[in-house]
Amino acid sequence: MGRYVVRRLLQFIPTVLGAIFLLHYLTSLGIQLGGNPVRAIFGDRRPTEAQMNAMADSLGLGDDCLTRVGDPCVGLYFDRLQSIFLQFDLGSSFTGRPVTDIIADGLSATVKVVVIAIIFEILVGITAGVLAGLRSGSFIDYLVKISTVLAISVPIFVLGFLVRDMFLVNVGNWFRGGDWPDWFAYGVMSPVYKPDYPWASLVIPGLVLGSISLATTARLTRTSILENVRADYVRTARAKGLPQRRVIGVHTLRNSLIPVVTYIGIDFGALMGGAVVTEGIFGIPGIGREIFRAIQQQQPSVVVGIVTVLVLVFLVMNLLVDILYAVLDPRIRYD
Amino acid sequence: MLTAACGGSDSDDSESTGGGSAGGDLRIYSSEPAFLVPSAADDEPSILVVRQLYRGLVKYDQEGAPQLDVAESIESDDNKTWTVKLKDGYTFTNGEPVDADSFLRSWNYAGNVSNAQNNSYFMGRIAGFDEMQKEGVKKNATFSGLKKVDDLTFTIELTEPFSGFESVLGYSGFFPMAQECVDNFDACNKQPIGNGPYMIDGEWENNVQIKLKRNEDYAGEDAGKPDTLTYRIFDDVEAAYAAFEGGELDVMYTVPPNKIAEVEQNYGETLLKEPSSSFTYLGLPTYDERFQDPKLRQALSMAIDRQAIIDAIFDGSLAPATGFVAPNFDGAREGICEYCEFDEDAAKALYEETDGIEGPVELWANAGSGHEEWLQAIGDGWKNTLGIDYKLKVDITDFGQYLKVADDKKFTGPYRLGWGPDYPVMETYLAPLYTTGASSNNSGYANPEFDKLIQEGDAADSLEDAIPSYQAAEDLLAEDMPVIPMWWGLTTVVWSDNVAEMVHNPITDVDYGQITMNN
Repeated sequence: MGRYVVRRLLQFIPTVLGAIFLLHYLTSLGIQLGGNPVRAIFGDRRPTEAQMNAMADSLGLGDDCLTRVGDPCVGLYFDRLQSIFLQFDLGSSFTGRPVTDIIADGLSATVKVVVIAIIFEILVGITAGVLAGLRSGSFIDYLVKISTVLAISVPIFVLGFLVRDMFLVNVGNWFRGGDWPDWFAYGVMSPVYKPDYPWASLVIPGLVLGSISLATTARLTRTSILENVRADYVRTARAKGLPQRRVIGVHTLRNSLIPVVTYIGIDFGALMGGAVVTEGIFGIPGIGREIFRAIQQQQPSVVVGIVTVLVLVFLVMNLLVDILYAVLDPRIRYD
Repeated sequence: MLTAACGGSDSDDSESTGGGSAGGDLRIYSSEPAFLVPSAADDEPSILVVRQLYRGLVKYDQEGAPQLDVAESIESDDNKTWTVKLKDGYTFTNGEPVDADSFLRSWNYAGNVSNAQNNSYFMGRIAGFDEMQKEGVKKNATFSGLKKVDDLTFTIELTEPFSGFESVLGYSGFFPMAQECVDNFDACNKQPIGNGPYMIDGEWENNVQIKLKRNEDYAGEDAGKPDTLTYRIFDDVEAAYAAFEGGELDVMYTVPPNKIAEVEQNYGETLLKEPSSSFTYLGLPTYDERFQDPKLRQALSMAIDRQAIIDAIFDGSLAPATGFVAPNFDGAREGICEYCEFDEDAAKALYEETDGIEGPVELWANAGSGHEEWLQAIGDGWKNTLGIDYKLKVDITDFGQYLKVADDKKFTGPYRLGWGPDYPVMETYLAPLYTTGASSNNSGYANPEFDKLIQEGDAADSLEDAIPSYQAAEDLLAEDMPVIPMWWGLTTVVWSDNVAEMVHNPITDVDYGQITMNN
């Protein structure tokens, strides 16, 4: 197991270097083809060449290679690698904010929403899936099937706007007019993220963000359970006279969770980057919004910095999922 | 508070208890500012915070005229060399005095190209600007036109006389900076060191909020009224509006355009709506020989039904432009642009007199900002009235890239651009946009007579005497039509029941520090 983890960790290195190079090349090409994004800072007032150059230099975009279309800017790439890995400096944004700060602040908000979404996904999604899978064809099964189709078919921005404008504003105002505790009326029911209630005000956005994945989780669990309750080892367990709780809870569920764990693991990474819509709707100062803005304004160091971190998160999550496999299924060995 | 300040003797010392309505926490909608240091802050959200944190030599009254603020006097015999005397007793929140050095230091820092400050442009009138803008100039270089006389006095020499210079000084780019701020720009940006009625509480929480508390040591006459100002930062104005509706915000400067009708219905009593000074125009590339005949440019302008477009596409929320200077500016005249009036017959007649233009004419705008619709309406109008074919050229999303096309004079047809004033002098709408070779002259307009009139106005004895010259220059534009004026924007402010009295200035917008709150 230990050797397996080390080997996997070593594989991170080429993946990350490659990802950084790709991002570096794409952002450089964007500048080479579209002109230096620094120009936009001056707005309607045309800068002199000296002003342009000074601004470009101060933002690390003054390299000549950025004017030659197709030049991979290898020098710039190695400078970037060196400052990232030797000085832990990811550069700064156009307003002089260190990218490390942007990532730290953005991640803290995004991770909170994603964690809420995942918890919601695990608790409600798996429970609903198990109940539906065990009583196939029952009322609960139909309820789960119909509601999950509904959840999957409503785009997240539609759901988000509905929840914000109808529920949190209107229903929320009713709660705020009543005798409810502050953390609920002004925290949980706040239409937007609130710095005074960093967790409470993210509960509803987390539920919205997790809704589609929750539906998928429930369906995956249901199918998987349906398949496994008829498996030989479950029949054997029953024949041995094990109590129902142990048959389902330990034998069936444990094996049924493998695809679900894979899905949730990958989903964690996907939600991190995909939270941009939810973040926009609920005014959450997260990483998704930062990267969206950075791409719009063509800020290479911010794009490279954030995506690199997201790649790392993805890799780590995948590794965790693979390790979990071995825990869930004794037949899987990593030596 | 006990400092013997010379100013403010007319208003008694009731700063913190004035009228029983001071106090409270005012929660304000804001988008993320770019900078909180005067030399760099040049965007609206930044300036709305900077104006509470810092104070400059002058401020503007309700008519937009400059009034002395930190300055005791600002005098000049020739409008070229200005002597500024400062009031005594003002300090920065770190204890440094607000003296002559604090202003000179700020301007030298901003004007020096090596510091790459966004507001360097505004220092352009000070003598020595060209040397300060040479590539590779030393970081400690200073303007030859700025001289300290004593601790509270300094002189400013301009390259050319300018009668409106006192008004310019109220722009936030001319506010003073503490030495500690210049020494460590990033720290000062995160935790500003100001000289204004408010000071930072904690530090700027990027993308989340900026909290200010009243600066109890502020020696000026208009001390802050609310105890704290909380600027809640939103990326998306619609999310902010949901927050406002949910009781999370007290003042919302800028209502989402598609919500104006709803807001009017729900908050009619607490909504302020007035034409803003932001100018949208359709520039004509006079460097393209097809657009060189003024008659053609006049005809194109006359064939646009501005009001109809505003009603159909913008819910009537804009004011059609009938001149080149914002209506609320001193010297602006209603209806000065006679070719801005919609008249199909006259347009046709004018067009007949020209050689015509071969279509399709390309209409330029930056993509993704909702300009297609109204450009199309204009194109359809031209097609119907003048029989000119048109084509939309709205494919550049990146605004910087679009501006680059403007810089390189590569527009192949009429293009959309906008302009906002830098200071309340009508010259700000004229010189930068139409003077030969000026930094925002994108149409390529070059008229020596126009340049001369602007110069005459600048050199006049007073702003009042300057206005006729500026107006004459505007008359030339109305005849030559290098750009087609389209409309003025709309200022909208809505506030909650917690606000007792809204305070709004036509130049500097909402004055958050002067708003009084209920209970």
